[in-house]
Amino acid sequence: MLKVKSAVIGTGEISAEHLKFLATSKATNLVGVCDLSRAAAEYAAKTFGAEKAYTDYKQMLDEAEPDVVHVLTPPQSHVTLTTDCLDAGAHVICEKPITLGHDQFTSLWNHAQLKQKHLVEDHNYRFNQPILKIDKLIADGVLGDVMEVDIRMALDLRSGGRFADRNLPNPAHRLPAGVIHDFITHLGYLTLRFFPDPDKVAAAWTNHGGDDLFKYDDLDAILIAGNKHARIRFSCRTAPDCFAVTVRGTRAEVQTDLFHPFMRLIRPRIGGEKLSPVVNQFANGLSLVGSSIGTFRNKLMQRSPYEGLHTLLYQTYKALGNDDEPPVTFNDMDRASRLIDQMLLGDNRI
Amino acid sequence: MKLLVTGASGFLGRHIVAQAVARGHDVRAQVRPVSTIEGLGWEDHPNVQIVRADLRDKSAMDALVEGCDTVVSNAACKAGDFYTQFAGTVITTENLLAAMANTGVKRLVAVSTFSVYGFLRMGDRALLDENAPIDNDPIDRDEYAQTKLVQEELAHGFANEHGGKVTIIRPGVIYGRDNTWTARIGAELGANRCLVVGGRTILPVTYVENCANAIVLAAEHDQAIGETYNIVDDNLPTHRQYLRALNKHREPRMKSLPMPWLAMRFLAALALGVNKLFLGRQAKIPSILRPAALHARCKPATYTNKRIKDSIGWSPQFGLEESLKRSFDDHDFAALPPHDEAAEVQPANPGSTDAPDLDQETRTCA
Repeated sequence: MLKVKSAVIGTGEISAEHLKFLATSKATNLVGVCDLSRAAAEYAAKTFGAEKAYTDYKQMLDEAEPDVVHVLTPPQSHVTLTTDCLDAGAHVICEKPITLGHDQFTSLWNHAQLKQKHLVEDHNYRFNQPILKIDKLIADGVLGDVMEVDIRMALDLRSGGRFADRNLPNPAHRLPAGVIHDFITHLGYLTLRFFPDPDKVAAAWTNHGGDDLFKYDDLDAILIAGNKHARIRFSCRTAPDCFAVTVRGTRAEVQTDLFHPFMRLIRPRIGGEKLSPVVNQFANGLSLVGSSIGTFRNKLMQRSPYEGLHTLLYQTYKALGNDDEPPVTFNDMDRASRLIDQMLLGDNRI
Repeated sequence: MKLLVTGASGFLGRHIVAQAVARGHDVRAQVRPVSTIEGLGWEDHPNVQIVRADLRDKSAMDALVEGCDTVVSNAACKAGDFYTQFAGTVITTENLLAAMANTGVKRLVAVSTFSVYGFLRMGDRALLDENAPIDNDPIDRDEYAQTKLVQEELAHGFANEHGGKVTIIRPGVIYGRDNTWTARIGAELGANRCLVVGGRTILPVTYVENCANAIVLAAEHDQAIGETYNIVDDNLPTHRQYLRALNKHREPRMKSLPMPWLAMRFLAALALGVNKLFLGRQAKIPSILRPAALHARCKPATYTNKRIKDSIGWSPQFGLEESLKRSFDDHDFAALPPHDEAAEVQPANPGSTDAPDLDQETRTCA
């Protein structure tokens, strides 16, 4: 079988997930890994079995001639790197946010069209099992019409780790929405998955911590479409860490947490209106016990919330092989990028 | 001689600076941009120039290194995930060595660790000297061992590709003020209890002042170029003896739960077997139950400091009892005497020292 030649630019933390997939995929041949640090490039190449390590991505594009390049560098470099990869004849899978604004995205997309290459932004959480299950509940009509969506991410970024490092501030602090910009794409595409056409967007961006390292540490956004509502929350100030998704429909409601997966489905049950609350409690209690075992298993087996990324990459490579449209489409990326712009727009600020 | 000491505000770095100044050298002490310098013990000393720089920032490196005779690469990251430690240990060293190549500074004393040794490949009670095997498959070791192995490779690469005059220092367990517990004994079980794996196993310790002295001596001696030195003190204690000596100073005392080495080894082998057979070797097992990590922590072995003694005449000044006494003393032994007293200190090797750098200003390279 002729394998697709893949290459990676950037060997930071997220690269481990991309490289794990590439190292084990039967559809790909990892022809190069590139990083400005020779030591980092060589370590990644050795660990994941890449043919060669590079410190100059243009040299890698010339020599290795990859069919697909994974651009995994800080977002500020995405446009330049992706453009060069497209020019070199490679499809690009790019980490989020693919660009710093919708205008940049449109230009980049047009360039990909011109070069007849695919451009895929990483919307990995959309492919996590709980989200796929919610998709099915909606498709099967269990939830009825979706009326409300809540997406909430809480991460204690201030107390430690790479975003709290004042010695060498993370490049994410220089993004238009500061560090929240590094996560906002996830919140955007998940909201739009269940709430596709917001008419009105209003957002409060706040820096409750009030220091000069963080631009914002809290986002509270409201989206309205006719009689439907959605809310997007990002908080650095609440615990524990979570990535909670709630979708409420005309018939039922479902909740999950992508960091610690569980499903709580409240729906009409056997027993009618009076007994449904009791049956829901029993059913969800049993489901929660199952989820706790699953969470323990995930912890033990080192399975991370990045499970969706592996599904996304598998489906993307399969689509490329069959010359089909990749699972993350122009519409998905275009609307997510546009929503982020809308939330940042001065007129929409609360 | 003018020494650049990286990671100067750290546990070992503070003592390296103090020892180097005490031996008559000028020191450029690298600390991170937001590190607190008050209380370092030598922040106002005329022979110490504190430079604020983050070693992950390549653009700051040439200015940091320029004008130094010798670089003591001491900075490393022991906390955080693999990528944090990789950046803090490997990328920093890579940037530092690139700056040394750019500025023509050849002399490097690289502080490594016993963690680079492949303990799993050694027999029980074997002699661990500088010829002991390096861990060439550290996948089951911790992030620290993995990144320090890459760091050592970079130091060797600097010697081979740039004609660097390199000395590798591999200290055993460094102990001293606020750092008297080591996971090599076993495992902490709460604040005042511990599991002691192999009570009669020798603990390869070196007191921080002794270790810092070895590093400065290595920087001074041309005989050290191209050498690797293991650093352990004389008359090494067993795990049990160290705990007993520690408990004389520690309040409350550390209570111990003994665990024979062979029993621990069996448990780790069992955990590996279960992981392999039933879990496709994907399960995350606590390090004390992973054979590669357990052997690196607790394996019975014998140790020697003969090479550095024979080569450059180092001798650990303080024995275990005195070292622990100093560790718990109210006086901070990394602190240098005040300016006027310091001026009376004579250099140990006057012929090799340059004129003191009088620039005391604290600079920021970032």
